[in-house]
Amino acid sequence: MNAALEIECGGLEVARLGKIFPGRDKPVIAVEDVSFRVEPRQVCILLGPSGCGKSTILRMIAGLEQPSSGGISLNGNPVVGPHRERGMVFQGYTSFPWLTVRQNVAYGLRINGDAYALREGTVDHYLERVGLSRFADAWPHQLSGGMRQRVALARALATTPQLLLMDEPFGALDAETRWQMQELLLNVIRKERMTVVMVTHDVEEALLLGDQIVFLSSHPGRVRTILHPPFKSDDAICTRESLRAHSDYAPMERDILSMMREEGHNH
Amino acid sequence: MLQPIISPPPPEQPTTGPVAVASQAPAAPPALAVRRRWLEFKQPVSTSSKLLLGISAWILFLLGWHLAATSGTEANPLFPSPVDVSDSLWNLFAERGFHSDVLASLQRILISFGLAVAIAVPTGVLMGAFPAVEAFFSPLVSAFRYLPAPAFIPLLLMWLGTGDTQKIALLVLGVIWFLITLVCDTVKQTPVDFIETSRTLGGSRRTILWTVVVPSSLPGIVDTCRQMLAVSWTYLVIAEIVAATDGIGAMMMRARRFVHVDDIMAGILVIGALGLLCDLAFRGLHWLMFPYMRRR
Ligand SMILES: Nc1ncnc2c1ncn2[C@@H]1O[C@H](COP(=O)(O)OP(=O)(O)OP(=O)(O)O)[C@@H](O)[C@H]1O
Ligand SMILES: [Mg+2]
Repeated sequence: MNAALEIECGGLEVARLGKIFPGRDKPVIAVEDVSFRVEPRQVCILLGPSGCGKSTILRMIAGLEQPSSGGISLNGNPVVGPHRERGMVFQGYTSFPWLTVRQNVAYGLRINGDAYALREGTVDHYLERVGLSRFADAWPHQLSGGMRQRVALARALATTPQLLLMDEPFGALDAETRWQMQELLLNVIRKERMTVVMVTHDVEEALLLGDQIVFLSSHPGRVRTILHPPFKSDDAICTRESLRAHSDYAPMERDILSMMREEGHNH
Repeated sequence: MLQPIISPPPPEQPTTGPVAVASQAPAAPPALAVRRRWLEFKQPVSTSSKLLLGISAWILFLLGWHLAATSGTEANPLFPSPVDVSDSLWNLFAERGFHSDVLASLQRILISFGLAVAIAVPTGVLMGAFPAVEAFFSPLVSAFRYLPAPAFIPLLLMWLGTGDTQKIALLVLGVIWFLITLVCDTVKQTPVDFIETSRTLGGSRRTILWTVVVPSSLPGIVDTCRQMLAVSWTYLVIAEIVAATDGIGAMMMRARRFVHVDDIMAGILVIGALGLLCDLAFRGLHWLMFPYMRRR
C-alpha cells in the first residue's frame, strides 16, 4: 500500500502489483511485479495469452480482489475496495433480468440515492449514447447479446465513474456484432472522455481502442512490453475499415501477433 | 490464435464460427418425414390437444372405476362408484355442514404455512447469502430434516394437547426444514457477477441483499413455497387423523367408524381439489409477480 501512496495525482497508477492465489497444492503466482500508468482520458488495453492474469489485474483495480503485494491508486487515492468511482463491465451478461433496460441503467443511481428526477435525465442520456432509447422499457431477455452488453455499458457509465473497467466485454458476441460494439465503444469513449482499462484477446480491438497496450506474458503474469498505438487519438479513424487502411496498422498487428505466438510456444 | 495448453481456467473463447454454423445446420427435413405421429421425442403438444388428452385420462379413469364398482351383482359398500361418491359429496356440503370442516382445515394450512414461510424464508435467504450463517444453521437444519415430523406427534400431544396449536406445530415442523434448505439453495444460485456488478456500482452489503440477492432468487422461492404447500397438505391429514374433532381428516375418520366409504372418498376428492387450487393460486401469483419471466 505504501508504494501507492507515494504517487503523484491524476490517472491510474498500478505499482509493483502482485497476486498469489492459495492453490490446491502450492500457491499460484498469478501476477508478479506489474506496473503501469494510465493518464486521465486514456484507454489502456491489457493484452496477453490466456491465463496471464489480465482478469486478476482488472479485478484488483476494481477492488474485487485484494493485491498480495504492491498497490493501486486512482487520482492519488489508494484503492482499497469496490467503489462507484470505478465502474465495471463483465464478460458475461449481467443485466438484471427483473429490471427493465431503463431500470437497469438507473440501478447504480438508485442505490446511491440519487433523486428520481435527476436520475431520469442521466439515464436517457446514456441510453441514447448506446443507442437503446427505443428499448428502454424492454426486458433484458428480449434483447440480443450485443444489446445486453450495451445495457451493461450504459449502467456502468450512468454513475459517472472516474475509471471504466471492462473484462472482455465483447468476448461472448459474434464477430459481426463485436465490430459494431467496438466502433460504438470508441465513439462513446471519445464523447464521454473516459479513462478506461480494458482486457481483450482481440488484437484488432486492442489497436482500435487503445492509447496504450500493456502486453503481459504468463506464468507468472508480468509486463512484457508497453505499446502506444496512434489510432484512437486520430479522430479520422472511427471504423474498422479506416483502421485497417492506416499504414501503421499492419506492422503493429504483425508484431503483436508474433509476440502472442511466442508466448503461446513458451508453454 | 494460440492458446497455452497448461493454463487451468478454460479460455473463454468468443463463440464465433462454430455456433453460427451449428444454428443453420439442421436442414429442412425431407418431405417424407413430415407425417405427424403421436409419439415423437420432445415434440411439443398444442394447448387444445393437451387439454383433450388430460380430460380423456380423467374420463377413462372414472369410467374404469365406475365399471369396476358396478360389475358385481350387488353394490359393495367398501367400493362405491363415482356416482355414489359425488352423491355423498353433495350431501356432505348441503346437509351435514362439511364446509366448516373444510374451513377448519384450510385455516390450519394457512396459519401453519404462513408461519413456516415467515421463519424459513428469512433464515434461508441469510444462509444462502452468507456462508457463515449457513455454517451455523446447516448442521442443525440437516439433522431435523431427516427426522420424520410424525415422530414428534406423541411429544406434541403431551406438550400442546389435542387442540389446534398441536396441529399447527406439526405442520410447521413438517415443512420448515425442507423450506429452509430449498430457499438456501435457491439463494446460492444468485450469479456472482450480479453481486459484483452491484459492488462496483457502490452497493453496500444491505443494498446488495435487497436489490440483487432477493429479487434474483424470489421466483425460485415462490416456486419452492408452491411445492412445499403440497407437503403441508400431507401433514394436515396426518394431524387430523390422529386427534381432531373437526377438519377434513376428522370427518374421514368419523366416516370410517360407520364404514361410510363414499364419505371417505369424497374427503379425498376435496383434499385433491383444494391442493390443486392452491397450486394454481401460487402459479397465478408467480405469473403476476414476475412479468419478466412470462413467455411472449
Ligand atoms: N480465484 C482463484 N483461485 C486460484 N487461482 C486463480 C484464481 N483466479 C485466477 N487464478 C489463476 O490465476 C491465473 C490468472 O488468471 P486470470 O483469470 O487473471 O487470467 P486471464 O489472463 O484473465 O485469462 P483469460 O484470458 O483466459 O481470461 C490463472 O493461472 C488462474 O488459474
Ligand atoms: Mg480473463
